[in-house]
Amino acid sequence: MALNPAKMISSWAVNVRIALTALRTNLMRSMLTMLGVLIGVFAVTLAVAVGNGAQASIMDSINNFGSNMAILIPEPDTERGGPGRALERGRLTSRDLSAVEREVPGVRAVAPQLRQSLDLTVAGTSTTTTGTGTTVGYGIITNHQATMGRYINDGDVRTAARVVVLGRTVSEALFGEIDPVGQSVRLDGVPFSVVGVLEEKGSTFGDDSDDTFIIPISTMRQRFVGDTLPGPDDLQLAFVGFEEGYSLRQAKQDITAVLKDRYRVRDGDPNPFRIRTTEEFIEESQTVTGILQAVLVAIASISLLVGGIGIMNIMLVSVTERTREIGLRMALGARRSDIRNQFLVEAAVLCVLGGAVGLILAWVSGAALTAFADFPVPIGLGTAFGAIVFSALIGLAFGGYPAIRASKLSPIEALRTE
Amino acid sequence: MSETAKAGTDTPLVETRDLIKTYHLGGETIHAVHGVSLSIARGEYVAIMGASGSGKSTFMNMIGCLDVPTSGEVLIDGIPTSEMTSDELAKLRNQKIGFVFQQFNLLARTTSIDNVAVPLIYAGVDTETRRERATAKLIDMGLGERLMNTPAKLSGGQQQRVAIARALVTEPLILLADEPTGALDSKTSEDIMMVFQQLNEAGITVIVVTHENEIADHAKRRIEFRDGNVIEDRPVTNRIIAREPEPAV
Repeated sequence: MALNPAKMISSWAVNVRIALTALRTNLMRSMLTMLGVLIGVFAVTLAVAVGNGAQASIMDSINNFGSNMAILIPEPDTERGGPGRALERGRLTSRDLSAVEREVPGVRAVAPQLRQSLDLTVAGTSTTTTGTGTTVGYGIITNHQATMGRYINDGDVRTAARVVVLGRTVSEALFGEIDPVGQSVRLDGVPFSVVGVLEEKGSTFGDDSDDTFIIPISTMRQRFVGDTLPGPDDLQLAFVGFEEGYSLRQAKQDITAVLKDRYRVRDGDPNPFRIRTTEEFIEESQTVTGILQAVLVAIASISLLVGGIGIMNIMLVSVTERTREIGLRMALGARRSDIRNQFLVEAAVLCVLGGAVGLILAWVSGAALTAFADFPVPIGLGTAFGAIVFSALIGLAFGGYPAIRASKLSPIEALRTE
Repeated sequence: MSETAKAGTDTPLVETRDLIKTYHLGGETIHAVHGVSLSIARGEYVAIMGASGSGKSTFMNMIGCLDVPTSGEVLIDGIPTSEMTSDELAKLRNQKIGFVFQQFNLLARTTSIDNVAVPLIYAGVDTETRRERATAKLIDMGLGERLMNTPAKLSGGQQQRVAIARALVTEPLILLADEPTGALDSKTSEDIMMVFQQLNEAGITVIVVTHENEIADHAKRRIEFRDGNVIEDRPVTNRIIAREPEPAV
């Protein structure tokens, strides 16, 4: 028999109509069966979405701070030694960073970092927050500039100027609606001049990115943190930003080579520094969220499995109840495949209807979570499409056995059934 | 019927050759049909008689290709059926045989049109044509006013007329009826018998299984079964011609 697409669509349409009639006939039963699939699809969809949301949040916070960069961290407890060599503590200095900037290709900007929590006071109003002592490069790497006034500049760093750029939250806490640029503020009692306000970044995972301030690194060192560091040129951390698309794997190797050379690290000895890249953070977070998502989906899948078993159960009941109808249809010319398809479609329709409602509920819950819990739960078209297709597959998988059983009935045995 | 037989007109429409059906029930072998060879020609109106357990229904199920013989052969329109696949048998039932049952066997919650159109679904006919042909058959059966009724809204006689329309909608060669009046009162039975006689006049071969002499006497030929064997096969003398040509709708 030749395959006629129009005919095939028409026969599927007929099956869908037969299925809907059968489902209406046992409305209560159909609803309860659907509920199983509904809950399953709801749970799985939400699990996938939560996983995607966690992933997106982490990506957001990484990108929010700065993409395509390497972070240099001194390893203070590294003990290097051996015959004839003194123990040496891991360090990272401004000169190391300059060398990296000079010798490593692809560098867009570098930024040293000294962080310290300070009390900021203006005419009796006080707030405590952690700020960063750094250079112009910090604004470039983190893509974070001043919206009012200006950022710190090279001159500020050279002269260890007492200038501060405030985050939005700090600015509002100290000055309210007043333009803070040009105003004076005391940092741990030392008078500073406000030169700018940083553009708003918002918060990720409840961490307010605007509750901060920026001062020149030289000022931070001289006024606040100098005596906590092992040397006059030491850094807590340093950032190296690379050109868009530049290989961070290559960059990490290059930086390692430069620093190893500067610290004369022998092969086999541990490095007195650590280098992490945004690429690694992303990979690690993907691994973690991937595991989280897999665990969630696995748990949710159990409910879907139970829903599928419900489908199989009810389809077996349906086939038994309608044995006579099956016999009649066979007498009227239905082939085994016609009967099989009829029941497959019925199971698939049950699942798709349940799945669609489950998807809508998941979407509503996702939107509610996003709105009220400040946690993105994105259900994209792909997830939605996947949920529907998956529901249909569950129908076909769990409806398969009952449908095949129906199709294998002997016409006369089926017709004789009361 | 526009289709012409593959063989000549003298080929029997239904032929059985040494047809045997045995059941095994609790270690006991039951010979439901015990080697029946007979042939039914095109245009005949045959009543198959016999008491319950005589083998008449088993015989009918086998010539209707619903049941598989233990041995022997059933030929429909000259074509042997024993080697056919289940799909080929389904097609044969769909195209050449129309079934009418005692309990009508209409689909509940389904309109007359949709009930009558069911065989056309399996014949691969498109939706539009299905509706047209089902409607035409229902009008032929005097049910033009009952097209959109579900079986629950129809009398027994009307339901059996819908079932007959369904049996005829694929323009089969044979109408096989198993106790078609068993669930009807005598007046309605007479009405259905009249339909059968009219269809037979129009050229359709009618085979009716019944245990009632009055129903059998509407046929032209009468075959009686007992214990799986044909004990009598003769023309009907004093044939009853059903009256009351106005269909009771």
